[in-house]
Formats: sequence, structure tokens, C-alpha cells
Amino acid sequence: MDNRLSAKDFINIGIFTALYFLLFFVTGMIGYVPVFMLLIPALCPFVAAVAFMLYLTRVNKFGMVTIMGTLLGLLMMLTGHPWTIIPFAIGFPLLADLVLKAGNYRNWTSIRLGYILFSQWLMGLVFPLFFMRDSYFASLRDGYGDTYADTLLSITPPWVFYLMFILVAVGALAGAYFGKALLKKHFQRAGMA
Amino acid sequence: MELITSANRDLSAFPLDPRTKILLLLCANVVIIGGGFSGTAGIIRALFASFPLFLLLLERKWRAAAFYTLFIGTAMACEILLLQRTAGIWNLLIVIFSGIFSRFVPGLVMGFYVVSTTKISEFIAAMERLRFPPALIIPFAVMMRFFPTVKEESAAIGDAMKMRGIRMGGGNAIAMLEYRVVPLLISTVKIGEELSAAALTRGLGGPGKRTNICEIGFRLRDWTLCAIAVSALLIWMMGGTA
Repeated sequence: MDNRLSAKDFINIGIFTALYFLLFFVTGMIGYVPVFMLLIPALCPFVAAVAFMLYLTRVNKFGMVTIMGTLLGLLMMLTGHPWTIIPFAIGFPLLADLVLKAGNYRNWTSIRLGYILFSQWLMGLVFPLFFMRDSYFASLRDGYGDTYADTLLSITPPWVFYLMFILVAVGALAGAYFGKALLKKHFQRAGMA
Repeated sequence: MELITSANRDLSAFPLDPRTKILLLLCANVVIIGGGFSGTAGIIRALFASFPLFLLLLERKWRAAAFYTLFIGTAMACEILLLQRTAGIWNLLIVIFSGIFSRFVPGLVMGFYVVSTTKISEFIAAMERLRFPPALIIPFAVMMRFFPTVKEESAAIGDAMKMRGIRMGGGNAIAMLEYRVVPLLISTVKIGEELSAAALTRGLGGPGKRTNICEIGFRLRDWTLCAIAVSALLIWMMGGTA
């Protein structure tokens, strides 16, 4: 099989990245309701999983998942999200690509694991809230005093960051099952998957 | 979604090279996330936070500019006036609002400015000049082209559901997801296949260099803004290490 990506592959990447991003983005909107804020890391990968699962039925070459992640990162950065998204959006999808490739993009075990890995790209969005903030807090102390800085520190302890990794993984895993079920129910019958 | 669909319209009253916009976005991003409240760092942070405001004003996007001013003004006023006088849960809420949001909102508004004033072909032209590989440029172009399509399809599906008396909201959330997302995927994937055939007949993926109708280039205002942004970034970085 030819392993170079063709124009058709590029178009597929574009279409499914757009679908994934929109599902992700619309789900992310409900995060503005504060109660749901903590659920977002699990909810976004859950909903977007359908698009990803359908995408995988079109992927058979290494690199397509990585390009999808890179595009998501670029798009996030263009819309003004923290630049830390870029290494996350390249690194985790690349790992996912390797895992998926090992299962030839069809093996169910590697699809589950691959989607969990892929979904971790969104951690780049929250990374600056938890890390790279020493200078920020130092100058915050100068400007606003200890209470302010301590409160801000206390509501964002690093363990929440690691908890979010787990939330993402849980949401992604549930999404993978849900997406697969939908694929089976609708798309295979329609001959699309 | 307005910010993405409007990327197609030619709205710019103060045209800048897309690369200038991206550079400004990057500098603002690094500085505002990296933070710094006091001394030079504070001034430079304020400078970068004011960039989106000026650019929005130059583009005559009054509403966005007003919202941004209101938001940042409220956040800063909260920090300065209310923080010392409140305690408990109110204090916590103000800290969350002003502390976290003021770090993210200037970047988001800058991003809104960039995507709402740049045409897709301008992005493509800029990416080509910046030597991005075609493996990124082609999917990027398709993706941008696809956002409005997905939005249209989604609205059509919403209408169809309304006619049959199926409404959003009440009922099972998972079922709603299924009703909305499955038809959306089916119709967009189909459109995608047609698009793909159309693009191939027009020579996408063929050998040879593709041309672009958009002329982009640096003008005096681009050089000036880049110079300001880069020097401010350098001062900020030196201030950070010293």
C-alpha cells in the first residue's frame, strides 16, 4: 500500500478536524455554566468521540491523526488560547498515532487507548493555570498582597491538573464506546463505516 | 460561530499582513499568560492587553471593543476596589473572575480580531510564505471552508427536527446528541466527498506550485507594529530573567 498521504486524505483530515473541533467547541460552551466547568475535560472528548471514531474508518496511513492534532492546536492558538497548546496538540496525537498504527487503525484495543491519548491534547489549554506561574505569582504578591495570591494558588493546586488527565481519559473511554455504538447502529448500516 | 463564518467577508478597514497579526497574537499570548503585575512587566502586560482594543477600534468593531473594555475594566476594578473589602465566598469569586479571566480574555479577544478580519485565502498565503508544509495547509484550508457548511447543515437539521416536533432541551441528553450529531456527520461527510471530487478535478494534489489570488506584503504599519511587539517582548523577557 502507498504510504504517502494523498489529496483525498488531506481533504478528509480537514473535514473531520472541522467536525471534531465544532463538536468540541459547542460542548465547551456549556463550561461557562460554572457547575459544569469541572465536567468539561470529560464531556468534550466524550461528545467529539463520534467524529473521531468515524474519522478512524477513513484513516489508514500514519500521520493523519498527528496532522489533525496539529491543526487543532493551530486553530486554538489562532483563536487566542495559550501557546502551550501546541506541544500538547502535537505530542499526544503523535503518541496516539503510534498506538493506532500498531493496531492498523482497526484494532479495538488500540483505538480505545489511542483515543484516550489523543484527547489529552486539551490539557495544553489549562496547563498555564497550574504551571509556569512562579513569576506570575511572585509579581502578584508584590502588587496585590499575599491573600489574593494564596487564594488563587489554593483553588488551582497541581493535583487538580492530574485529576483532569484522569477525567479526560474517562470521558474519552466512554466516548469511544458511545461512538462505536453509534457507528454500528447508523453508519455501518448506511455503508459509511 | 460568528467569528468563523465572518472570516469570509472582506471587512478590514485597517488591513494588516496576516503574518503581522499572527506575530502580535503570539507576543501577546506569551506575555499575558506569563503574567507580571508590577513594574515594567505590568506596563508591558497592559500594553499587550490594549493591543486588541486599538485594533478592534481601527476595524470599527465598536461592539466588540465596548464589550472588551467593559470586561477588562470590571475585572481590574474588582481587583483594585473590591478585593480588600470582601471576604469568604465573594472574595473567592472575585479572585477567580479577575485573576483567571484577565489572564485569558485579552488573548481570546486578540484571536477574535485575527480570525474575524483575515480571509481564509490570506491565511493560506501567509502559511505558504511561512513555509508550512502542504500537509498542513491543504487540510487547514478545507477545515476553514467547512465550518460554515457544518453550521448550515446543523441549522437545517434543527429545522427538520422542529417540523417533526422534536425539540432540544427536554428529554434524554444522549438521545438528543444522537439525533443531532448523526445526521450532521452523515450529511457533512457526503458533502466532503463531493468537495473532494471537485477539488481533485481542479488539480488539487497535482504536482506544481499553486498560486494564490491574495497579495500579502509588509507595509509600514506592519513593520511598526512588529517592531513595537518584538521590542516589548524582549524588554519583558529581560525583565523576567533579571
